[in-house]
Amino acid sequence: MFKKLKYDHYGYLFVAPFIIGFLIFGLYPVLNTVFLSFTNRTLMSRTYDITWFKNFQLLFADKTFITAVTNTWELWLMNFIPQMGIAFLLSVLFTNLRLKIKGVGVWRMIFYMPNLMMASAIAALFFSLFSYYGPVNQFIVRSGFVAEAIDFIRKPAWMRGLVVFIQWWMWFGQTTILLMAAMTAIPVSLYEAALVDGAGSLQMFWHITLPLIKPVMIYILVTSLVGGMQMFDIPYLLTDGRGSPGNSILTNTINMYMKFHSSKGHIGAASAVGLVVFLMTSIVALLIFFLLREKHDEPVKNGNREMKR
Amino acid sequence: MNLSNHTLTNIQRFFVYLFLAVLVVITLIPVWLLIVNATRSTLEIQQGISLLPSKYLMTNYRILLSKGLDLPLGFMNSLTIAVLTTVITVYFSMLTAYGLVVYNFKGRKTLYNLMLVLVMIPMQLSIIGFYQWMSKLGLTDSYASLILPGIASAGSVFFAKQYLESIMIQDLIDAGRIDGASELSIFHKIMLPIAVPGMFTLGIFAFVASWNNFFNAFILITTRNKYTLPMLIQTLRGDVYRHEYGAIYLGLAASVVPIIIIYFLFSRYIVNGISMGAVKE
Repeated sequence: MFKKLKYDHYGYLFVAPFIIGFLIFGLYPVLNTVFLSFTNRTLMSRTYDITWFKNFQLLFADKTFITAVTNTWELWLMNFIPQMGIAFLLSVLFTNLRLKIKGVGVWRMIFYMPNLMMASAIAALFFSLFSYYGPVNQFIVRSGFVAEAIDFIRKPAWMRGLVVFIQWWMWFGQTTILLMAAMTAIPVSLYEAALVDGAGSLQMFWHITLPLIKPVMIYILVTSLVGGMQMFDIPYLLTDGRGSPGNSILTNTINMYMKFHSSKGHIGAASAVGLVVFLMTSIVALLIFFLLREKHDEPVKNGNREMKR
Repeated sequence: MNLSNHTLTNIQRFFVYLFLAVLVVITLIPVWLLIVNATRSTLEIQQGISLLPSKYLMTNYRILLSKGLDLPLGFMNSLTIAVLTTVITVYFSMLTAYGLVVYNFKGRKTLYNLMLVLVMIPMQLSIIGFYQWMSKLGLTDSYASLILPGIASAGSVFFAKQYLESIMIQDLIDAGRIDGASELSIFHKIMLPIAVPGMFTLGIFAFVASWNNFFNAFILITTRNKYTLPMLIQTLRGDVYRHEYGAIYLGLAASVVPIIIIYFLFSRYIVNGISMGAVKE
């Protein structure tokens, strides 16, 4: 009765604010960052020169930058792998029809809670818990685990472990919820058909569960990567805000912030850091997404075919 | 055979519950210590760990204020920003998503793909360009630079689109058109009221994200009395508070407890909402 075409141009009216907002607060800042990264601009002077690739040359010759990039990758991977592992274990347990675990909703609710905590408050909390005269040291000394208090804040391995732990603590609940949602969305009839064909539970997991939850796994991987590459609050507030001890928890964003906040405010150099990490992360994230996604239909079909046989 | 199978299941079940209980302790203990220590005096805290609250909440609060940390002001600043950001994000995300769901205009697919890509891009890394551009516009040290970007929040549009598709009834829109309602008023008077539960979930996420956001405020806000809660927390590490542990914990608790309350009130919306944001195709 109503020709849709007559109304379709109203769509532009509805999406216009988003597009304008995106141009002003999203796209232009990115372009501006690209432009600034080609200059020697500082916050302290009005004049600046276009120095083209000088910032980038300096950056790649700078050991601190390389350290920050490696650190960020390591800190992310070290928390992502156990996070995925525990989340997998939990969602398999929670959806297991034989075990019939009670109170799944309550467990999930508790495990997700840390995700909503203010990261900066959590970092400050762990800073005081693990300080030299802090509760953790009191506890381990008094209960006789160690003879002398440990100076956690000055030990690189401890601080890295702590950053990884906090990240894991904050995110494993969310990953569990996502994986569970994906697993419970799989139609039971698929498993029933497989059972009839004599498939074992491992086979079913491999040929039905895994291929069907793959899109959600890609989503988790990509969003976690993008978040992890911008990690700032926790490592910044856990120690002195410079990635101490010994640059062990210096991340890309802390590195960028330090250049921005240096005595002169080198926004050209800071932009270069931002841009390199921006490109690195976007390329990896988009590659993961598009490479893995296009393949994802095939295993499902193969799995079906195998089952029919 | 049957019995031993049953016993085996029970043994497995026991270990699963034990494992879950350990995870719950790990999850809750840092937050519990934080809240308990906010009520204990510095002396008590230095004497050892306790899981029971004490009675020095007000003392700690007075110490905090006496050192020049205006917690109530920081609280109000954070609240103002979070509420305005939530309203803007929810409204404009719904508006955009409605446009994408209802109208088949040219470029719709492109815009949708743009959203998809935006979710996978670390926009925060363009903060320097953002900062310099805001200072040109005279918006640094102003809440506008923290609130207005909510107009274009790709993740929220994604969620809103997913939600609208699940509740969309074309007949209602057609009926509105027969009654001669304008397209915008169909959105406002017919669609939004139906979409309230989804908007609520979206709103909680937007609120929490804004409330917890440290980095952007840290870069953009400079005036002391405009500081948000996470920025005040950052100052707590300074020398002034070196030996005032009780006060420090109180400052931290004040920023975490409101979120815990929101969570316990609305956890169903939140837990169900998480999986809706995930990319489905």
